[in-house]
Amino acid sequence: MTSSAPRLTVVTGADDSAARWRKRALSTASHAALIIASILMLYPLLWMLSASFRPENEIFSSSTLWPSSWSLDAYVRGWNGLRVSFGTFFLNSFIIAILAIIGNLATCSLAAFAFARLEFRGRSFWFALMLGTLMLPYQVTLIPQYVLFQGLGWINTILPLVVPKFLAADAFFIFLMVQFFRGIPKELDEAAQMDGCSPWRIYWKVLLPLSTPVLATAGVFTFIWTWDDFFGPLIYLSDIRTYTVMLGLRTFVDSTAQSDWGGLFAMSSLSLLPIFLFFLFFQRLLIDGIATTGMKR
Amino acid sequence: MTTSVVLQKVVKAYGDIEVVHGIDLTIDPGEFVVFVGPSGCGKSTLLRMIAGLEPITGGDLVIDGERMNDVPPAKRGIAMVFQSYALYPHMSVYKNLAFGLETAGLKKAEIEPRVQRAAEILQIVPLLGRKPRALSGGQRQRVAIGRAIVREPRLFLFDEPLSNLDAELRVQMRVEIAKLHNDLGNTMVYVTHDQVEAMTMADKIVVLNSGNIEQVGTPLDLYNNPRNQFVAGFIGSPKMNFLTAQLKSVDSKSALVHTGGHDLGLNRAVAAKAGDTLTFGVRPEHITLNEGSGLKLGDMRVDLVEQLGGATLLYTTLPDGQSLAISLEGQRSVALGSEVTAYVDPDRCHLFDGTGAAA
Repeated sequence: MTSSAPRLTVVTGADDSAARWRKRALSTASHAALIIASILMLYPLLWMLSASFRPENEIFSSSTLWPSSWSLDAYVRGWNGLRVSFGTFFLNSFIIAILAIIGNLATCSLAAFAFARLEFRGRSFWFALMLGTLMLPYQVTLIPQYVLFQGLGWINTILPLVVPKFLAADAFFIFLMVQFFRGIPKELDEAAQMDGCSPWRIYWKVLLPLSTPVLATAGVFTFIWTWDDFFGPLIYLSDIRTYTVMLGLRTFVDSTAQSDWGGLFAMSSLSLLPIFLFFLFFQRLLIDGIATTGMKR
Repeated sequence: MTTSVVLQKVVKAYGDIEVVHGIDLTIDPGEFVVFVGPSGCGKSTLLRMIAGLEPITGGDLVIDGERMNDVPPAKRGIAMVFQSYALYPHMSVYKNLAFGLETAGLKKAEIEPRVQRAAEILQIVPLLGRKPRALSGGQRQRVAIGRAIVREPRLFLFDEPLSNLDAELRVQMRVEIAKLHNDLGNTMVYVTHDQVEAMTMADKIVVLNSGNIEQVGTPLDLYNNPRNQFVAGFIGSPKMNFLTAQLKSVDSKSALVHTGGHDLGLNRAVAAKAGDTLTFGVRPEHITLNEGSGLKLGDMRVDLVEQLGGATLLYTTLPDGQSLAISLEGQRSVALGSEVTAYVDPDRCHLFDGTGAAA
């Protein structure tokens, strides 16, 4: 046994080592390229992070990432520098994001259940129509929506940002969930039907518990998109006490008076933290959700 | 206590396409009925109509004298075992068994003993805490059956429950389901495409083809007296041999048939007239090579020999090019390419006319 093994390597030895070298060189080159690309991508973020710890006069004058001295001044200034503390903005953003997640998960999954599992007249037509709304840019519906919400007296409240989420208005998530539900064997529904379940109970007891990956995906994306949304809050929220983090960041940059860049970068860095953490915790489910969507499990 | 099921002119259509054409069938209380037929013959559709998972397009479904067409599945007193088991993947085995009872609003104290009893019957007590993904195919099948038992239904439906199991386990589960039927005594309807399952388990077999019933009867009745060529070919393994034959003469007590280059005299009347072309059917196990044990069917060349241990299968060709399978008892040494002479018992031969009906 042991004597035959070296003999085999001797025969192919020369070719083998050349191939190994080529493979290693190729791998080194591709890793180097990827690392350089990553640094290029990360540079603006790292620059912002370092700027938040720099003295104010050094922000735009130095190109190194390492500050000459470290200070947390910008964070203290940024947090308390405005009329309303940044904590309020964070709270507002959280409230809106959490409500949006609850709304999207509850109603999009219900709509998706109907499209994926229930028989009703014109199902394909309504599904196509729903998908059609994916093509509509936000800006197109903006003005009619504004007029509508103004009529309802909802301007300067968070209702325009939250209530639509409870009406299954996000076609993308409905589509995502329909695809996922279709991948769950229909026999489970039938078994549940034989067990006496109503459609509502099938949805609640059978389909939803099996759909955690897609629910997590929808939840994470809703959080990120709502948290990052600038345009919606800008249009509907005018009182600084109702501002979200993104609107709060804007108030640092003032075209008429002096802008507090250090405070802006400090608060921008902080505003990334929730998204970063959210992603960190749900990353696994997120990948599962994207990978298994529409596939038979 | 046991339940009767009556199908009256039951029709199923999807749009304009009719797939089940007016089925009439009576299932007696306590019977084990097997629906058998090739893929797409409508057997599963028929079962799903009884279950209530498919709406019935026309005709009536009557269970214990009550019309059930519009009664929802859970209210029909039926439990069904699915081909893919359809266990809830996120629930433990216990939860899987208890789910139907919980849905029906039973109290915990009532559910517990029923689940326990079903688990004991199927010997799955040690598995109650596990999730379905931690079970083998056979164990999943048991749980699926347990889920049916626990509801104490009046009628059990099985939709090809053994087709996902390996051969050995299939035989074992077959025996267990048959035993279960003996113990519980409930009426059971079982769908399969495997005629061996049908033969071994059924009190009554319903052979279906293209949405019609070809024949209903006990396993041996179908084996011995197939009503047509389809049933004759479907029931029995290896399959019945079919040879082209000519009816030379016929009277009220006998008939002379020419097939494979020889004339065979049968001691029975044949429902055809002299000169008609018929199909002559004989099962491989009813052919022998022993001279004097029947009528000579002809000399044939052996193309292939299969040794099964308990039997020897010969695949042969007649001088006119038609093929014929012969099953001989025991282990016989027959050389490939050799000539053998086959004999048949005339009482075990079948004749079918041009439409396929037994003549």
